Amino acid sequence: MATVELKGVRKSYGTTRVIHGIDLEIADGELVVIVGPSGCGKSTLLRMVAGLEAITEGTIAIDGAVVNQREPKDRDIAMVFQNYALYPHMSVYDNMAYGLRNRGMAKDEIDRRVRAAAQTLELAALLDRKPRQLSGGQRQRVAMGRAIVREPKAFLFDEPLSNLDAKLRVQMRVEIKKLQRQLGVTSLYVTHDQVEAMTMADRLVVMNAGVAEQIGTPMELYARPASVFVAGFIGSPSMNFLPGRLAGGVVGLAGGTSIPVNGAAPSAAGEVTVGIRPEHVEPGAPGAPLKLKVELIERLGSESLIYGRLEGGGELTARIDGEREIATGATLALGVTTRHLHLFDRASGKRLN
Amino acid sequence: MVENRPLSTLIAHAILWMGIAIVVFPVYLTFVASTHEPAEIVNGTMGFLPGGLPLQNYVDALFTGTKQIKSTPVLQMMGNSLVMALVIAIGKIAISIISAYAVVFFRFPFRMFFFWTIFVTLMLPVEVRIYPTYKIVSDLGMLNTYAGLTIPLIASATATLLFRQFFLTIPDELVEAAKIDGAGPMKFFRDVVLPLSRTNMAALFVILFIYGWNQYLWPLLVTTDASMDTIVYGIRRMIVTSDAQTDWHIVMATTMLAMLPPVFVVFAMQKLFVKGLVETEK
Amino acid sequence: MRKVIFKGTALPLLLIAPQIAVTMIFFYWPALQAVWQSFLIQDAFGTTTQFVWFENYQYLFKDPSYYNSMAVTAVFSTAVAVLSLGLALLLAVMADKQIKGAGTYKVLLMWPYAVAPAVAGVLWLFMFQPSLGVLAQVLRNLGLDWNPLLDGTHAMVLVVLAASWKQISYNFLFFLAGLQSIPKSLIEAAAIDGAGPRRRFWTVVFPLLSPTAFFLLVVNIVYVFFDTFGIVDAVTHGGPAKATETMVYKVFQDGRLGGDLGGSAAQSVILMAIVIGLTAIQFKYIERRVHY
Repeated sequence: MATVELKGVRKSYGTTRVIHGIDLEIADGELVVIVGPSGCGKSTLLRMVAGLEAITEGTIAIDGAVVNQREPKDRDIAMVFQNYALYPHMSVYDNMAYGLRNRGMAKDEIDRRVRAAAQTLELAALLDRKPRQLSGGQRQRVAMGRAIVREPKAFLFDEPLSNLDAKLRVQMRVEIKKLQRQLGVTSLYVTHDQVEAMTMADRLVVMNAGVAEQIGTPMELYARPASVFVAGFIGSPSMNFLPGRLAGGVVGLAGGTSIPVNGAAPSAAGEVTVGIRPEHVEPGAPGAPLKLKVELIERLGSESLIYGRLEGGGELTARIDGEREIATGATLALGVTTRHLHLFDRASGKRLN
Repeated sequence: MVENRPLSTLIAHAILWMGIAIVVFPVYLTFVASTHEPAEIVNGTMGFLPGGLPLQNYVDALFTGTKQIKSTPVLQMMGNSLVMALVIAIGKIAISIISAYAVVFFRFPFRMFFFWTIFVTLMLPVEVRIYPTYKIVSDLGMLNTYAGLTIPLIASATATLLFRQFFLTIPDELVEAAKIDGAGPMKFFRDVVLPLSRTNMAALFVILFIYGWNQYLWPLLVTTDASMDTIVYGIRRMIVTSDAQTDWHIVMATTMLAMLPPVFVVFAMQKLFVKGLVETEK
Repeated sequence: MRKVIFKGTALPLLLIAPQIAVTMIFFYWPALQAVWQSFLIQDAFGTTTQFVWFENYQYLFKDPSYYNSMAVTAVFSTAVAVLSLGLALLLAVMADKQIKGAGTYKVLLMWPYAVAPAVAGVLWLFMFQPSLGVLAQVLRNLGLDWNPLLDGTHAMVLVVLAASWKQISYNFLFFLAGLQSIPKSLIEAAAIDGAGPRRRFWTVVFPLLSPTAFFLLVVNIVYVFFDTFGIVDAVTHGGPAKATETMVYKVFQDGRLGGDLGGSAAQSVILMAIVIGLTAIQFKYIERRVHY
């Protein structure tokens, strides 16, 4: 068990900088998820922790010891790869045992650990199979097993579920989370899937273009996104953004609608972006300020997604109770509670309230 | 196929069997001759059916060779051929797989220069450098030795390219997983790359064994001592222009024996053979 | 290019060293020697050597026997290419039709690849040996005065037959693979478009097979240039009267027993140029195939 600490970590390829200074502390036993679009540098960051990429600047410490110069095998970490990276010619057993043998562990200890991991992962009956004889989910488990038997200081997951189909992904994410809890191993988990990130993380790091936009618990990020980027990335369907003008504690939208806001400095004024989550609009609320012309309805049963155009211009998505009767082409009056209104500076994208 | 016409199917089968007949006939005739008395062959009364000596000519060939023109016993020639074919095939595979490993899995000074150095040898077959190569082998004192027969043929651009191509398909993650599992370059080579290359090595082996066994010009140049004759080259020495002196019955048995090992390899390892053939031509 | 590699310089250099050593000693050095020797003339006893620039080449291009060897090589290549490619294509098309039997036919047709050219030569030599060959007798009975030992055309026919016989299997395998890689849906689409079997072959199958055919053409030319040495040496020794003396065989003959080393070397250099040309053509083809 250990902590992982990143201080001012930067990465450049030649003159191109891809990671612009990340600071992150992962507590003992914590599961931190790095989420972001492809190319944001999240995998590079993880691979730097693993020792597969050199660190250009800054330090990475595992269990208090700086590991910048250590080879991957000497960092006492285990990694689960996106394509599992199982040795195709080795049996399930040998795949799990290989790393232990290379470390010169005693035979019966290897056997004990492999069998225990196989038990945990329900792989006991498959130990003699080759990877190609396994289903996607089973391969995923073997990759997990290979990490578990090592009993490392930290697990590193590089998009471990993205090669699975949707149903299996949901199932495996629950299993990984449970297992991580049970073993209590400090973990760093990279994904581009925000649902996966939200459901698994103790804490989340949202990365964009080599920068950590925000670090926090899933609910913190959901409730108070620090930037337009985080706000748009976290939550599904995505937050609606409307251009507005802030003056005297009131924000004016196109078409003359104005809504009072909380939390912004009263003196603040100027061009802003207003963020409203689809689930935070209420149809027919008293004094409802937004008039939405319904263009398309997606009925999911328990709820419906309404896509439409606001009277003053701009598109908006609303998520409402599935039992409410709404017709395409109708105009819907929508209210917003002020505490659910997110305000961002138009130019910088930073949160204002 | 789209249509189903019994007549055209029948014609196709007929044409194929004719093709097979053309391909088999010379070998069949050789087999027939290898079972006849010498006199029957020479005076043209042999016919198209096997004769009365199913084994005698083979035994004579293997243990004595031709008599009118004294030759090395064919068994010894086959031994020479076997050594040559095995050393060439295994040697080519061994030095090619390690050089491809170096080129693909490392960065070192002059890497591409070395790669091209190997590559360009595709354009330098033995036939275009006959005498200078002979001279070097002779200067190194390797005439009439197994080393002289094999080592100069052991470099292989084709095999190196094939392994390089294959190594490039090994996923990066596998290398990384091995690094995390504590495997260095030699351990990775032994535990992962070699086992994964098994099929490729076997396919190459089939092709290279045939290549080595069938060498002709090279043994002709570097062996003058009859005891070093390979079977393919040895047959040629058994045939003399003045027909009367050629022991055709022995020559025919020897010809059968010369074809046997490589043809057997093709039949026994059909899949690997086809794979090797297709991949070495890329 | 791999992204993930191992560290180290000494180890890879050590791994590549054997191949480089063999290549340098037995490929580059002799090739350079050949080039150097092609500028030299040695007297008959090998005692004096003179640098003569391009005299060996000039001499070569005035020598009718060199033109003869070129003509022989050209005729030989063309005949083998036409015969073995044609027959192999016919057989491959027939085998491709037989969904069930294709595998069996493949096995029964592919083994001659494993027969050494020299041995293939002996097989055919025996059948057509003027005094005792079974097929020679048949020809004799048909009234043809068959004698490859005396008649240059007969000798050429014999080496062409032997060389083609051996090459059919190779061409067949590649043609069959080419045919089998053509999607069946394409043939079916053509059939629905109203094309009959013959028309389908010439408008759909053949164009798609043309890269394979071109590739095989180059391979067959290379084969005749270099690999048929064993056939020529075993069957005709280049005779009668140089009627089957290919360019490679002439290099061998001229330099034999320390004969005209300079002239032989000059011929080697010309052959090298030809190989480079053929290899370049082959690469062009491969490049195109990669881009499909």
